[in-house]
Amino acid sequence: MSAFALAWRSLFRQKRRSLLMIAVVAFGFASFALAGGFIAQSFEALREGTIRSVGQLQIADRRAVGRAEEATLEFGIPDAKRARAIAAAQPEVAAVLPRIDFVGLGTVGARSVPFLGVGVDPGPEAAATLASGLVVSGRYLSRDGGEDIVLGTGLANALEVKVGERVTLLATTPDGSLNAVDGVVAGLVDVKIKELNDRYLAAGQELVERLLQSEGKISKLVLFLKPDADEAKTAASLEKAMNAAGFSVVVLRWEDLAVFYGQVKLLYIGIFGFVGAVLVTIVILSAAIVMTMAVTERTREIGTLRALGTRPAGILRMFLAEGILIALAGCLAGTVMALVIRAALNASGIMLPPPPGASSGTVLHVNFYVLAYVAGLGAMVATMAIAAFFPARRASRIAIVDALTHV
Amino acid sequence: MPVRDASSRPRAESPPPLVEAAGVSRSYALGAATVRAVRDVSLAIRPGEFVALQGPSGSGKTTLLNLLGLLDRPDTGEVRVEGRDGEALSENERSDLRRDRFGFVFQTFNLVPVLTAEENVAYPLVLSGMDAGVRRQRAGELLASVGLDGKAGVRPDLLSGGERQRVAIARALANRPAVVFADEPTANLDSRTAEEILDLMRGFNETHSVAFLFATHDPRVVTRARRIVTLHDGAIEKDELR
Repeated sequence: MSAFALAWRSLFRQKRRSLLMIAVVAFGFASFALAGGFIAQSFEALREGTIRSVGQLQIADRRAVGRAEEATLEFGIPDAKRARAIAAAQPEVAAVLPRIDFVGLGTVGARSVPFLGVGVDPGPEAAATLASGLVVSGRYLSRDGGEDIVLGTGLANALEVKVGERVTLLATTPDGSLNAVDGVVAGLVDVKIKELNDRYLAAGQELVERLLQSEGKISKLVLFLKPDADEAKTAASLEKAMNAAGFSVVVLRWEDLAVFYGQVKLLYIGIFGFVGAVLVTIVILSAAIVMTMAVTERTREIGTLRALGTRPAGILRMFLAEGILIALAGCLAGTVMALVIRAALNASGIMLPPPPGASSGTVLHVNFYVLAYVAGLGAMVATMAIAAFFPARRASRIAIVDALTHV
Repeated sequence: MPVRDASSRPRAESPPPLVEAAGVSRSYALGAATVRAVRDVSLAIRPGEFVALQGPSGSGKTTLLNLLGLLDRPDTGEVRVEGRDGEALSENERSDLRRDRFGFVFQTFNLVPVLTAEENVAYPLVLSGMDAGVRRQRAGELLASVGLDGKAGVRPDLLSGGERQRVAIARALANRPAVVFADEPTANLDSRTAEEILDLMRGFNETHSVAFLFATHDPRVVTRARRIVTLHDGAIEKDELR
């Protein structure tokens, strides 16, 4: 009769109480598993969105790291075609997208609104990023760019323009003079971050080069890698190849560039940690009460077992085993509960409000995140062991004669 | 029945004691007062003895039994088990000694309610690390020897008081102890069952040479005892052999 066998039988002494405790653990475990699945899905979506936006790797002028340009394309990569070709020749690289970042003024009649512009190679850009998927009216930039421009809906509203209408773009060239070109609104996009949506403008690389009079120079190259490519290794080999070809550039990884991603992740971890701590506290308190009651009710039996030769550690093990068995039974019930609730939530189509900085919500989806289930099991077993430990230790230290006369 | 003072027994006749109290005292706090339950008692229990500790309520019978059985520690004095000082032993060593050398029978039977009769009997054997098959066989034999061979799989709540005490006796004998401590073992039994239980224990005493030490009020125990130790106010008043 091992400690676990005796503990298993003891669970059936007070069936209702054991069931209640198992239900508490099941609830705690299911909450853990569901919250973990939801947060994992959120991290995954955020990661995917971030990578689609900034790329997996970026090649930028070494001087641009941590500094803002005082003039248009003050830093940047000259001889962009050659740089792009070197990057594209790396076996792990799937796509290389040039980007020209600039600021300017959009003018329609007497109305002028500042914008944050980006010049892109439309074909590869549409294929590799979410840009074309954000179009809510009209279409994305044509393959050759031409005079097409795409505006954030907020910027279009401010300029009071619709698809097909012309906008005059004014910007400062790298040598400090002003230049203007006309663009035609091909489409409107809903950029998820409101502040950006109110200023967003995209145009083909050629149109932007005409505006900035900066042929062959770009701000950076955005890279997407093949599946299973090692980001760190590729970044290192790429930087080496670029530097060897005479480009004074650095290769940055998306996690270094997307500060927002790290902040949101920390926020979620904080929320999850707080909820987890509350759950664990509830389970610990409930379990400690239940185990204390069990010890009190069985004090005379503890005295008998000690009299028969059970060592104090044997009594401790017996009550710890009882706590752990409750945890295991609770986690089993909690798994079933979590899977049922998950299926119901995913089928419900509930819309979540937009996260901070975003302009539209998403449909609630909870992933089956194995790590959350494993962590939940670990947390519940540890929680029950901690909750059982102190009553169990008290039980193991009761004076035998006092225990035998306990009423 | 003729009696003689146990202390007058010639030294040559006396085997070394199994368990021995030497000048032990034990007090308890009872509210603000201190009760001296046992006062400077010296007593030795030898192999094969059948001893009754008798005396009025509060005379210290159970306290002395608990001290000799290593269930409690004296305030002063020494309890020696087969020559080893009980106070010098660790809690684990005391547990092991109780498991291997002692058996206990309680007034309220004290069986583990979630275990069957056989499992209750086998419990001390589990503590000794005996193989499952061997302990099952031993538990079965013991249950048969107390007349409960058909009750192996029955839980205590379905047994009568007499049957429960028989299971408790079988459990006490499981590890072939040198001495069994029995605290008022007949107090919760009807007269006929009490007689049967006492005869059973006397039988084990005679056939297996297991020493028995009873704390009792029951005259039926006293009439069966070969040695009667009378306590009064925590001290030995008389120690007689029959």
